[in-house]
Amino acid sequence: MEINITGAKIYFEIPLFGGIPITETQVNSWLVMLAVFIVCIVLTHNLKVRPESKRQIVAEWIVEKVTNLVRGNMGEGFEGFAPFICAILSLSALSSLSSLLGLYPPTADLNTVAGWALLVFVMITFFKIKTNGFLGYLKGYTEPFALFTPFNILSELGTPVSMAFRHFGNVVSGTVISALVYSALAALSTVLLGWLPGFLGEIPFLQVGIPAILSIYFDVFSSCMQAFIFAMLTMLYIGGAASKE
Amino acid sequence: MNEYLELISLNIWHIIATILNLLILMWIIKKFLFKPVQKVLAERQNQVDEIYSAAEKSAAQAEADRKLYNEKLEGAREEAEAIVKAATKRADRLSDEIIDKAKNKAEETIRKAENDIAQEKKKAMNELKNEISDISVQIAENVVGREIKAEDHRELIDDFIDKL
Repeated sequence: MEINITGAKIYFEIPLFGGIPITETQVNSWLVMLAVFIVCIVLTHNLKVRPESKRQIVAEWIVEKVTNLVRGNMGEGFEGFAPFICAILSLSALSSLSSLLGLYPPTADLNTVAGWALLVFVMITFFKIKTNGFLGYLKGYTEPFALFTPFNILSELGTPVSMAFRHFGNVVSGTVISALVYSALAALSTVLLGWLPGFLGEIPFLQVGIPAILSIYFDVFSSCMQAFIFAMLTMLYIGGAASKE
Repeated sequence: MNEYLELISLNIWHIIATILNLLILMWIIKKFLFKPVQKVLAERQNQVDEIYSAAEKSAAQAEADRKLYNEKLEGAREEAEAIVKAATKRADRLSDEIIDKAKNKAEETIRKAENDIAQEKKKAMNELKNEISDISVQIAENVVGREIKAEDHRELIDDFIDKL
């Protein structure tokens, strides 16, 4: 038995700039975005000042919860970040959850989370410079004294890298462990129940049940958890960068 | 073409595409979820504010009405008291007048009655006087045996009666 753990499947390449591969990551991301788009349209269809539908209550609940979350973590005046945080939450969670539908989760592609982390890093740097001025930003690297500069640079660069790898690692490890357990159970099934006559011996009975429990943890819980963690870190880092000390 | 990417691979185009995806999704969520919902929430807030201010206004109006009503009530009470006082005074005066009038009338009546009595008495006296003079003339005639002219002795008789 052979276990293959690979990245996203490449559908085709756009022959530009030396070839831009279009992979499952891209396609599934677009599916997730489409789904979010449809959900938004459905939820905000026919809004009333006096809500009559459950859809509207759900839509208001989402908007208020995310806005309060952003306000609570970043402070007053940062409510404009709510759609961005909502986008990260929904894209991350739904991308990871798409594995439940048998799709390749885009968050299992390092490029996806690296892109998000890079964007967050750019925003952190932007707000640090905006708050402290460019010189103040550079000076921040020499705190508490010049000897710390390399470490400060490392920790600054470490922020997006750790964010990206934390998310990526969690999703991929879930996929890897699920694949390993799945094939291990198949092997165990063959060893223990292989004596059954005919095709019965080939049915991997042990694969029923146990992978579902793992799936609940890795696909459902971990997906939502990682989306939440990534959004929280984004808010805390940007909020910290934008606040004057 | 069914190749796979390496499990850990970085591709600058994929990173750019991912960032664009995230930004596009942010735009979608902002445009199609946050804006409409926030609009409705703001409208609702406006309505609530309006209702509140209307309620405050009507409460203030009610308070003003109550004050006005109380003032009017107080005024009415004072007026009623004044009216009652005036009426009482007038009634007192009227009753006094009536009593005075009655008293006067009674006194007058009594006086008139006394006058009448006196007059009657006088009249009776005169009648009696005449009667007596007539009788005495008669008696004297009888005694004297001849006619006496009453007129001739009237003065004498009157004198006599007066002395009675």
